[in-house]
Amino acid sequence: MGSWIVGNWPSFDPHNFSQLRPNDPSAPSKKTPITYHPTHERTLPPPDQVISSEAKNILLRQFYQRGDEKLRPKRAAPENLAPEQECKHPRASVASSSEPPK
Amino acid sequence: MFRSNNITARIFQRQITTPSPGTSVHHARRFYENIVPGCTIHDVECPDLSFRKFTEDGKYLISFSRTHQDLIVYRPTWLSFSCKQEDCDTQDLPLKAKKFESFFTQLYSVPLASASEVICKDFFLYAETNQFGVFATSTAQIHDAPATGGAILGVPSIEKITFHLLRLEDGVVLDERVFCNDYINLAQSMGVFLFEDLLAIVSLRYQRIHILQIRDSGSLVDLRSIGEFCREDDELFLNSSSQADGTAQHMPINNVVNDPNLEQPAQENCFLSGIKQRLLSFIVRGIQNEQKVETMRNQSLKKKFYFHFQDYVDLIIWKVQFLDRHHLLIKFGSVEAAVSRNADNHPSFFAVYNMESTEIIAFYQMSSDELYLLYEQFCDYFHVPSKSSLYMNFISSHSNNIYALEQLRNNKSKATSFSLFIKKVLASLPFNCQSQNPSPYFDQSLFRYDEKLISAADRHRQSTDHPIKFILRRPPHTLKFKIKTGPEAGITDCRTKRISSFIFHPILPLALSVQQTLFSQPAVVNIHFRR
Repeated sequence: MGSWIVGNWPSFDPHNFSQLRPNDPSAPSKKTPITYHPTHERTLPPPDQVISSEAKNILLRQFYQRGDEKLRPKRAAPENLAPEQECKHPRASVASSSEPPK
Repeated sequence: MFRSNNITARIFQRQITTPSPGTSVHHARRFYENIVPGCTIHDVECPDLSFRKFTEDGKYLISFSRTHQDLIVYRPTWLSFSCKQEDCDTQDLPLKAKKFESFFTQLYSVPLASASEVICKDFFLYAETNQFGVFATSTAQIHDAPATGGAILGVPSIEKITFHLLRLEDGVVLDERVFCNDYINLAQSMGVFLFEDLLAIVSLRYQRIHILQIRDSGSLVDLRSIGEFCREDDELFLNSSSQADGTAQHMPINNVVNDPNLEQPAQENCFLSGIKQRLLSFIVRGIQNEQKVETMRNQSLKKKFYFHFQDYVDLIIWKVQFLDRHHLLIKFGSVEAAVSRNADNHPSFFAVYNMESTEIIAFYQMSSDELYLLYEQFCDYFHVPSKSSLYMNFISSHSNNIYALEQLRNNKSKATSFSLFIKKVLASLPFNCQSQNPSPYFDQSLFRYDEKLISAADRHRQSTDHPIKFILRRPPHTLKFKIKTGPEAGITDCRTKRISSFIFHPILPLALSVQQTLFSQPAVVNIHFRR
């Protein structure tokens, strides 16, 4: 049994730890352990980052996510986008005039 | 690692171990396996009142007089008696102790309803933080009421509905809110939802959702009224813009007073109500975005929207609940189904509405797979959490209890048609406020019981003669206690139908079971408690 273990602890095999050469317990080593510093700054957070908890609960987040997916216009035919935007403008202006002022 | 069922061993164990994070309520609840309301006092002599329920913090027992005009509030206490014999545990309780008054002291009796009104005995909401109670009184219902003043045809009218805000400590009525010639579904508090200090009242007749706030001082403050107008200044804007137009549609106010027949028919007909416009535009945008090609888009719109346009326009708000302080879950349906008893066969729709941005976030049909999936995964978020009492958030549902989840899965696999199963499950949405009892004896992980005979939902059930058994969920699966309604000897007359209702205290091992016949015979009240 290794003599470095303080007190005679039981073990399965008395030859375990027999190769270990421990430090002298009466004069403990004054070496400080090695510390590691990062060599890059890729993982640093942005300086203005603020972490806060989400106000909406998970159910509402799901509703919003699915609603956004449904209402996001699908970009399947990009050449049709330009005429769609043109005909969308007069509709948008009619809608804004009937909305109450914010 | 064996968990002892012995209560002393459990107390010692509690001294040395801390529960895992988030399980303090579950650990505390395990003691209820040892402390059960096994002793019954049958047919106790009590005042002839209709007992409603215990408040959620267990401080008050709410009951109404038989005439439905007075509110009587009791404080639950515990009996005390002295026993001179040596072996007291085996002795039967002295007769003096077996009284209603041993368990309940009357605090006060307040007349809430005047001569022509009755208290709605199904309606009671409790605001726990301030110990305020909301009660409702109403006059008689008038069927076939004429549709005047923006009312929906087909919905009955009640001349006067009053909501009373009462401080339960001393029975002082703090505030009232009156609705005249309106119809609000008061049965089982279906038309009203209380969340923290916000009260949502659905006026079926005028199709408005009134949001009120209960202030700490005890006053009811109107926050907003959603329906015809979405934002608070919509009405002002519409009136001022029609005035500026100088159109003939807008009549000056004096003329309306002098000649009440001349309303503003043209203006009322040309605009749909605010919330309906939001809903229809959300549906249109959703259908439009499904299709990538312009031509397919118009066809899709015609098939899915314009074909059903009148049905969508005719939808009315049935029921509402809060999802959080800004979001409402609104159930829409047809007029006929709103007043009929069996609304299951009529189509209904769900919408999530943001009160602040006045936008509709989501819209689902009643057999929607997507909504069912969300309900299956996040059921507890539909039961909005309570901030005051922690144990209110642990009422067994399939989101927080493995046995309830197993039962739901069994029902799903046994269902013949998945869409019918979804309809049945989603029919319970939006939930009735405070309709589930938080008593730990209904916790599915502690006890197994017959859900048809008794459950956390407080509604009347068919009465049975044999006692209802509560069996331990965990090994050794022993019978822990029984709840027997009715007199001790049982009922000899089997012909009359009897209904039972159960009122469990949320914390103490105390329960009342009330068995009554459909005729106005006095009810048989049993007290179940731990001796």
